[in-house]
Amino acid sequence: MELLRRAWTIVWKDLLIEARTKQAFNAMVFFAALVLFIFSFALGPDTELLQQVSGGLLWVGIAFTGILSLNRTYQSEETSGGIEGLRVYPGDPRAIFLGKLFGNIIILLAVEMVLFPAAAVLFQIQLLPHALELAGVAILGTIGFSIVGTFYAALTVNLRAREVMLPLLLFPALIPMLLGAVNATTLIVVGDPMLDSGIWIRLLVTFDVIFFVISLWIFPIALEE
Amino acid sequence: MTSKSGLANVIGIAALALFLVGSFVGLFVVPADGMQGDIQRLMYVHVPAAWLAFMSFFVVFLMSVLYLIQRDLRWDRVAQSSAEIGVVFTVLTLALGSMWGKPTWGVWWTWDPRLTTTAIMLAIYVGYLAIRSFADDPDKRARWAAIVGIIGFANVPIVYLSVIWWRTLHQPPSSPRSVSPEILWTLMFNLAAFTVIYVYLMMRRIRLAKLEGELEQRMAYHG
Amino acid sequence: MGPNGAGKTTLLKCLATLLQPSDGEGTVCGFDLRKEGDAIRERVGLVTVRGYVYDDLTAEENLRFSARMSGLKLGADEYRAALARVGLERVAEQRVRTFSTGMRKRVVLAQLRIRPLELALLDEPYAGLDTQGMALVDEFVREFRDEGTTVIIASHQAGEATRAAEQTLILNDGKLSPMDHDEAARSHLSFESLGAGEG
Repeated sequence: MELLRRAWTIVWKDLLIEARTKQAFNAMVFFAALVLFIFSFALGPDTELLQQVSGGLLWVGIAFTGILSLNRTYQSEETSGGIEGLRVYPGDPRAIFLGKLFGNIIILLAVEMVLFPAAAVLFQIQLLPHALELAGVAILGTIGFSIVGTFYAALTVNLRAREVMLPLLLFPALIPMLLGAVNATTLIVVGDPMLDSGIWIRLLVTFDVIFFVISLWIFPIALEE
Repeated sequence: MTSKSGLANVIGIAALALFLVGSFVGLFVVPADGMQGDIQRLMYVHVPAAWLAFMSFFVVFLMSVLYLIQRDLRWDRVAQSSAEIGVVFTVLTLALGSMWGKPTWGVWWTWDPRLTTTAIMLAIYVGYLAIRSFADDPDKRARWAAIVGIIGFANVPIVYLSVIWWRTLHQPPSSPRSVSPEILWTLMFNLAAFTVIYVYLMMRRIRLAKLEGELEQRMAYHG
Repeated sequence: MGPNGAGKTTLLKCLATLLQPSDGEGTVCGFDLRKEGDAIRERVGLVTVRGYVYDDLTAEENLRFSARMSGLKLGADEYRAALARVGLERVAEQRVRTFSTGMRKRVVLAQLRIRPLELALLDEPYAGLDTQGMALVDEFVREFRDEGTTVIIASHQAGEATRAAEQTLILNDGKLSPMDHDEAARSHLSFESLGAGEG
């Protein structure tokens, strides 16, 4: 499909630039590791406590780090003439949304691949036995975060106080996703005798689908000049 | 003044009257709830306030959709007015909920699904009003606000459901208790009173918004 | 033509559907500005002063991006040929960050030329170019004209293309008015001295 091809062209462009400048990725990894470290430091050496809250801490870390990447999503267009440089081309403008979305998901997942092992060390949790389920939750959660984030980033990119507006708009919208991701992760890691994680995963999927449809639908209006 | 203003005044007086009657009945006439005592009377303000908070937000949602379809700034003015009034009701709901919680459960805050959702809704409301302050062009402002309003409201049921799931897995939900007919009637009455208050405030605020809009337009042409 | 701040760039961006007019309607290439923007963007190319070029991509990658986003599928040799056309074949694999202003402009021109267009919008095309570069712009404009593509140039600087224009308009104070063609052809001066006597 033409739409997907153009979206992929944008992903290719962004990932290529990122690979060459390594601006965002390095900063994000350092920041995320720092956040996790501070958490574990602040909570003290109580292993059991750390394990119980590991899911929450991990996803808070991912969310804060994710915000960094979101700011960058459209900012990277600034030096090349702004988002006009993408709007000037023919075709459905939703390709811009999809392209930026996929780019954000890929970069955030890449950061998480460093983050999860770091969390395993800092919070003393076992990840390997449940690697597959955790990967599933991570992917679903990251997708949900990126969908809402990419959308609101587009809305706030031209605002004067965007660094404040983006979190203000984003975090209330993310609550269901965070609940789902945190609870699913904690249950998987700490033990899930009643198989409750299924509910949370279903919540994540529902959230992802609903917001994907809404964002995709409204995006052209958000992009209007 | 115009007849519209006259009508607003009538509604305003009606609102005040209803509110006074409702409060009087709620505070002094109706017997207090057996288990909770007098603190339960807070419910006569807390519940209508909560109901109106959500209703205001629904109006914001409806007006946002209408604006995006028709691009008529009138819908945006109604949305803005409803959002501002809704914030007041939301804060009232949270404050009263908190005040109720202290003697009843011993804590200032509890992660009760409805209260939590109300708090999140407040954050969404604030975001809605905040984004309005960043656009000078009325059409752009209305468009951004409409988008935030639509997505924000769509989020509320999802948040509510997720918090319910979260709570039920951690602790059983508070079971609905049966209420005596007197309490129910008083509640309904106060609900009506608050709705009339809402209508009155809306009429005033929308008219003000219209004047603000005209002023803005004039400044744009001559500025 | 028009003085700085007259709105030449804004006008071109409106025609390219990047900006929405606050009032009124219009058609470009027969398509409605507000409702058929997509059809317009397929047929219209815009060259801005700085150009939409990514510093961290090579010249060829920028071209490739532009082509793909326009829906074109071209081979590597076609990209090379397009770069050769603007004299950049030797730096095709270099990042645009290392380019001079003139070289950047040439990348932008290559991006423009690679697409089949009905209308080319050039905003200050001579800015930043040396004599060779300016001759390149004039050459492109000639080719466009031969191919039947309409060209609109916004400039405050007279060059061969503006002299050879079929119609010269002046944008001033929000109004667009035709300029006497012979007078425009005779003058070699920038707009400031032209406009002073026009009022």
